[in-house]
Amino acid sequence: MSEPSTETQAAKTASAPPPAAHEGHGHEDHGHEAHDPIHAANPHLAHHFDTPQQQFDAGKLGIWLFLLTEVLFFAGLFCAYTVYRSMNPEVFVYAHYFLDTKLGALNTCVLLISSLTAAWAVRNAQLREQKMLMINIVVTIACACTFMCVKYVEYSHKYHDGLLPGHNFQPKEQIWELKSFRDKHPEAAEYAEKLAKLDEKKAEAPAGGAAKPSEGKAEEKAEKIERPTEEELEPLLNAGLVGPRSLDPSAHISRPRMAHVFFGIYFFMTGLHGFHVLIGIGIWIWMLVKAAKGQFGPTYFGPIDFTALYWHLVDLIWIYLFPLLYLIH
Amino acid sequence: MSDENPESKDNGPASDPEGSVKTTETTPTKAEAEALHMLAKGKPDEPTKNHRHDHGGAPHAHDDHGLAHTMPIPLLFGVLGALLVLTIATVSVTSIDLGHTGNLVVAMVIATIKAALVCTFFMHLFWDKKFHTVLFLTSVLFLILFLSMATADRGEYQHLVDEYRAQQLQVK
Amino acid sequence: MASPTTTADAAIPEKKGADDNYLTHDKGFASWAFTLDHKRIGVMYLASVLSAFALGGVFALLVRTELWSPGRTIMEHDTYNQMFTLHGAIMVFLVIIPGIPAALGNIILPLHLGAKDVAFPKLNLASYYLWIIGCLCMLGSLVTNAVDTGWTFYAPYSTTTQTNVIPAAMGAFILGFSSIFTGLNFIVTIHKLRPPGMTFFRMPLFVWALYSTALIQVLATPVIGITLLMMIVERVFGLGIFDPSLGGDPVLFQHFFWFYSHPAVYIMIVPAFGVVSEIIPVFSRKRLFGYQFIAISSLAIAFLGFLVWGHHMFTSGQSVLAGTIFSAITFLIAIPTAIKIFNWVSTMYKGRIHLDTPMLYALAFLWVFTIGGLTGVFLAVMGVDIHLHDTYFVVAHFHYVMMGGAITAFLGGLHYWFPKAFGKMYDEKTGRIGALIVFVGLNLTFFPQFILGSRGMPRRYYNYLPEFQGLHQLSTIGAFTLGIGFLLTAISLGRALKNGKPAPKNPWGGVTLEWTTTSPPPYYNFHTPPPVTAGPYDGYENLVYDEKIGGYVAKT
Repeated sequence: MSEPSTETQAAKTASAPPPAAHEGHGHEDHGHEAHDPIHAANPHLAHHFDTPQQQFDAGKLGIWLFLLTEVLFFAGLFCAYTVYRSMNPEVFVYAHYFLDTKLGALNTCVLLISSLTAAWAVRNAQLREQKMLMINIVVTIACACTFMCVKYVEYSHKYHDGLLPGHNFQPKEQIWELKSFRDKHPEAAEYAEKLAKLDEKKAEAPAGGAAKPSEGKAEEKAEKIERPTEEELEPLLNAGLVGPRSLDPSAHISRPRMAHVFFGIYFFMTGLHGFHVLIGIGIWIWMLVKAAKGQFGPTYFGPIDFTALYWHLVDLIWIYLFPLLYLIH
Repeated sequence: MSDENPESKDNGPASDPEGSVKTTETTPTKAEAEALHMLAKGKPDEPTKNHRHDHGGAPHAHDDHGLAHTMPIPLLFGVLGALLVLTIATVSVTSIDLGHTGNLVVAMVIATIKAALVCTFFMHLFWDKKFHTVLFLTSVLFLILFLSMATADRGEYQHLVDEYRAQQLQVK
Repeated sequence: MASPTTTADAAIPEKKGADDNYLTHDKGFASWAFTLDHKRIGVMYLASVLSAFALGGVFALLVRTELWSPGRTIMEHDTYNQMFTLHGAIMVFLVIIPGIPAALGNIILPLHLGAKDVAFPKLNLASYYLWIIGCLCMLGSLVTNAVDTGWTFYAPYSTTTQTNVIPAAMGAFILGFSSIFTGLNFIVTIHKLRPPGMTFFRMPLFVWALYSTALIQVLATPVIGITLLMMIVERVFGLGIFDPSLGGDPVLFQHFFWFYSHPAVYIMIVPAFGVVSEIIPVFSRKRLFGYQFIAISSLAIAFLGFLVWGHHMFTSGQSVLAGTIFSAITFLIAIPTAIKIFNWVSTMYKGRIHLDTPMLYALAFLWVFTIGGLTGVFLAVMGVDIHLHDTYFVVAHFHYVMMGGAITAFLGGLHYWFPKAFGKMYDEKTGRIGALIVFVGLNLTFFPQFILGSRGMPRRYYNYLPEFQGLHQLSTIGAFTLGIGFLLTAISLGRALKNGKPAPKNPWGGVTLEWTTTSPPPYYNFHTPPPVTAGPYDGYENLVYDEKIGGYVAKT
């Protein structure tokens, strides 16, 4: 581990204030501190940092460590995503047709803009630009709320279309009915539709398709519906719908068997991220209150800086979530 | 968490989220005014070099009060512009077929460039202590360690899972 | 839970002014419940952790009693499953993980650094309350339909069993955050609040150990958080990530779980190394041998600890490739660990060893931990592990490390810093007897389990073959011996709190900073920030024992 060596500099700086730094408040503009009524009431609070710089540095290190834990907190979800995507790519190809790339891109832009205003707010706080600070915080909050509204729209669509995780995965639309899929793979859509219709017919006439649930592999199933050859399956293969792993035996031919896992991961990842956005909104409102009181200035802007850092991390995670969930090819 | 300070009219002692009271100024002092002036010009005040107040006394540095670097506004907007352009790029590149893996790699590279931009500029890592960069990279390193070991292992035993599934299907 | 304040209330003497210290500074429940003082928070942690320890101990005794004879002895098998789960979960999440860092560390770390407090006092209090909330969640599961999954919460059993898994998992989740915040706080404190002159290589080894621990806490704990969350969501919504009947992968759960839980083993044991590193030089009256090696080896253990989680999964279906890598790296951990042991032993060589209670615990630690550590190497060998996996051999191994290592060091540290924390001396004789009984009980309980395991007795079983009965009974007798040892220790310390002799500044002759302030320390720890001019273990020769005050003073 390289911490100690990297920190030798910090070690030196930490030891820089002379022992009496704290007792020696009598110089420069810190002199009044000892007589401050707040410090007298809470002597403990007043005394454990020597300088604003020390406190700021401590806070900054603290928030960076916290961001570290956040990254690893999301690590579990990214890991689940990676494992399932690398083992069942067809699931992800299938499922991404159900997501609205435009809304995802919109949300990305909204978050990026809010990141700008957050970074700008830090500058405002440092320079005591009271009015701009308030404006930037408000814009950040507004962007965050926009983000959540868009998410709400997306979630309610998913809910209505039965695209829910786990047991609740009951899609109302078949993939060949989706515009996004038709545009891209008209042949495959047509073919899948045909297959599905045949399938339904067989189901209605039990003589032909009595063993319907027992058919699992795409090939087997297709065999019963007259044409099994790989060439004929090609449109589906090209569309990425038939992966190396078998199809869902209980569903129509055009749905991979693990499709519900994608929506589990999707809702979990975006949900957890959305939760972080909500928390962020809460903290920004708190910062707005503090800013309204005019508390921030060149020697005290830590809270704004730390909130902004947290906010950037939320943005960072979305920067990865967007291509991973919406932009699957 | 915070103990708000009713007494402070404009910028009295206030606590940070971690709960410690700041040393603050009641009126902008001469030094602070100078610091403001310097900061407004966007001049970095060597934050990585000398973080300490020199309590030794000499009424020298106006950077005494600049606790950290200030981002110039043009840079802020420049970074945002780059991020938005990259977002458009990553969306449009999806329509080009580079294969399942190819597109994924391109998307991840673009995302990583975006992330790097956010970290370097918005999160001030460029001017900040190098230790914070090390910390952040450590977390990414551990993330990769976790992902790669778990995924690699899963790849190794995937054939067992497939066999099991095939068996299950036959039973059905 | 016993009220966290009772222990401390008893310790508040009726005086102020010159004798003002952190215990007497303020009075009343609120002054404790909302305190931001690291020592008070540490004391509250201590009281809470010890209460949880008592609870977990009761479950352990119930489990051991049930195993007195094959078949039913005192409880049904379902109850038995709940008992060992609760024992494990309470001991791991509520006792050992917060034990040394949050309880002893909170009291001692800022004192060791000559600081006035930890970097973020409010966060510190918040993490204590998170501990309380997590504890209540776990107890919620306990009093309703107690969880029976084992402390590991393995899916898919945990996602399908009828017992109340969710509150217990939520409890562990919240306790995880308590642990993260403590670790975060400590790292920042160590980086930013060291006194003038204290470079990284002048920090006491306890601080080094806490630093390494904190790094693990910050890096690994979030993963268990998300894992438990995923498990809960899987249980509620049928996510399909872990449960094979939904297309999930239970081995993946084990990867997730052990990515945290193996490093967590080092969260438990590394602080214990720190405590032992403090005790041994003081009671050998000799400079610590190989300071830098011990310091760096803590970091090495913390780092390597992240690379070995798969050795818990040799029989789980993990691939042979991964198994081989994990096995090889696991062997490496023996190196930094052995470096420590050799250095401690070398420190004692030609020292003037004082067999006071803390030193007895430290010696017990050396013995017990060496056994625990070496049997760990056996288990790291894949071929051997196939035979020993999930047997009592594993149970004995990790109890030798957790119980024999972490708890013994915790008790040693408690006795070592008790005079400093509470300003009272305990009865040395009772303390020593307690330490001896604990040591004997420990070996009596767990040594037979090595034999049981190597003969094929599987862990967590309710019933067993009659030929195992003798060894099981021996183990149960040992467990009760241990119980008596702890009880005696508790009584001894309780009596000391009430009417122990006032403790001198430096009863043991330590040279680290905490011994330069009064016992108990004043509210701000130090009247003037102590200057640091030498290493943490230099200068034992400058102290002499003063019969009159019963402690060490500077040679004149």
